[in-house]
Amino acid sequence: MNNVILKVSNLKTYFFTSRGTVKAVDGVDFELRHGECLCLVGESGCGKTVTALSILRLFDSPPGEIVDGQISYDGLNLTNCSSEQLRQIRGKDISMVFQEAQSALNPVLTIGDQIIEQIKLHLPLNYSKAEDRAMTLLEEMGIPSAERVMSYYPHQLSGGMKQRVLIAMGLSCDPQILIADEPTTAVDVTIKAQILDIFRDLKTSRQMSTIFITHDLAVVAEIGDRAVVLYGGKDVETAPVSEIINNPKHPYTSGLIECLPDISKSTGKLASIPGTTPNPLKMPQGCAFHPRCPKAMEICSHQEPLETVISKEHRVNCHLYK
Amino acid sequence: MIKRLQDIIKRASQHLHLNTRLINYYWQRTRRNKLAVAGLAFIVFLVALAIIGPFFTLDPTEANFEEKNMPPAGFVTEQSVYNIETDEVTTKEVHGTWKHPLGTDSKGRDMLAMIVSGARVSLQVGLIATGIAIILGTIIGVLSAYLGGWVDNALMRFTDIMMTFPFFLLLVLIIFIFGSNLAFIVLAIGLTGWTGTARLTRSESLSLRTREFVVAAKALGASDKRVIFRHLIPNVISLIIVIATLSIPGVILAEAALSFIGLGDPMVSSWGIILEAGQHSLNTAWWVAVEPGIMLFLTVLAFNFLGDGLRDAFDPKSNI
Repeated sequence: MNNVILKVSNLKTYFFTSRGTVKAVDGVDFELRHGECLCLVGESGCGKTVTALSILRLFDSPPGEIVDGQISYDGLNLTNCSSEQLRQIRGKDISMVFQEAQSALNPVLTIGDQIIEQIKLHLPLNYSKAEDRAMTLLEEMGIPSAERVMSYYPHQLSGGMKQRVLIAMGLSCDPQILIADEPTTAVDVTIKAQILDIFRDLKTSRQMSTIFITHDLAVVAEIGDRAVVLYGGKDVETAPVSEIINNPKHPYTSGLIECLPDISKSTGKLASIPGTTPNPLKMPQGCAFHPRCPKAMEICSHQEPLETVISKEHRVNCHLYK
Repeated sequence: MIKRLQDIIKRASQHLHLNTRLINYYWQRTRRNKLAVAGLAFIVFLVALAIIGPFFTLDPTEANFEEKNMPPAGFVTEQSVYNIETDEVTTKEVHGTWKHPLGTDSKGRDMLAMIVSGARVSLQVGLIATGIAIILGTIIGVLSAYLGGWVDNALMRFTDIMMTFPFFLLLVLIIFIFGSNLAFIVLAIGLTGWTGTARLTRSESLSLRTREFVVAAKALGASDKRVIFRHLIPNVISLIIVIATLSIPGVILAEAALSFIGLGDPMVSSWGIILEAGQHSLNTAWWVAVEPGIMLFLTVLAFNFLGDGLRDAFDPKSNI
């Protein structure tokens, strides 16, 4: 159970813009274990997506650059391997599913073409074998009359279907790791439930290791094994999902959980964390969360908290737990 | 081997089948523009004329001084005839005949045959030069947008220089150096006419490049070449079709203009060459200049109408 297949340590991805340096990811540590679903959680702009893009080095460079840290996969450090090596890994070993299915599919190619192209890129199959494989994948994703869908253009499919096509594409070459960047954000609740089902099935049937990016703690509770809470480009709390939900240590995590609407309580107003995410161009000194933190202490404004181990599986970066 | 061939055929036919649907859709949209349809009809007619016409007309190079300066069928003109024996100038009436439905020029060559073979030349010039320009422009534009950085800067500044350089002067220079050979003229027009296409495809690709499906393709391991040829170019193809249609008439006119000022290839009878020959005899034989002029006018108009129609049809935002 404890075999780590991807290890991200002290990852720092900065964007050097004309208005200053954006430290989008500023020291993120986590590890992905075989067969688990790891959730990256946080508000918009906390560095979730950039972390994921950094793993495959998919951000625009310039302005983006990985300035420090290591991403170890299969004996390779993905932060400094050649772009050709990385291209071989993309899609075949580590693949990614994007948030907006509408724009992540090429509007002028048919679904079949896009999946087949993807399969033939990495696997030594001829056209008809690749076609069969694509069809099987689509059926596996629960798409009815897959043969017909193969000849459709993206605009002819519904949002949920497109999202499934994207997942099928991501899985087409049996990757070791699947990174899903908010795959449930752009779809309605029923489709969301179906997509989550697919991910759960993947975990049981394929032993797939997944990095699931979301801002939705309900989704985390639904499918996650462990979760990493990000804030201001740093990981602030890492723990198994049940710990995160029932025993959050970091004030930010507790804040996020209090924000979840509870149907049994009718308090009228929804809870929220006061303030907004900090301006990435001028991050607060010390702990990035201290201006919004209800439990902020004097030390928080000038000293960055170090990692504290709560239990074997539970780590938190906060001055409260020294 | 045979299996592979089957694969290819199956794939190609599948594409054809799928494309009919898309083509049908665009045809439905284009059809609503009557002028575009008329333009298309004229172009189809012209292409047919250029391909099969020469088999039915007289030899456009055959001179016959007995029948020089004959007006088109149904027209009558007066010709002055110099009688060498009596040293007198008399006028005689000349009636157009159906043997030369569009009349003859000052050397007695059949105008219909010349117009038909001129159509061939003009269309060749238009299509080949535009083809060269479009391919060059698309590659430069897409590369510029995709690679960005200093490549983008270098290519776009080069485009700027090409744009500011007086294009006609360049053509004249090339003809001066290499002689008036139609192949060189076509090449020269093609090699100078790509700048607008490059600009437009670049701006279109710039927005495409950041679209998620390009990032997604890269995330799944696509190489730069594949992203450019499979994802960027197919997405700008409708733009390219419109640019091509709208730039063909410009190219045809450029060749005609070169011919008109006497820089055309004297070995081929393009419309510009006929027009140039006709301008000297406007008093005696107006039809020699007017007929190729009308053809040029109609051809340019047809391509422009079609281009406009296609632009509206391909634009999802336009309401037609």
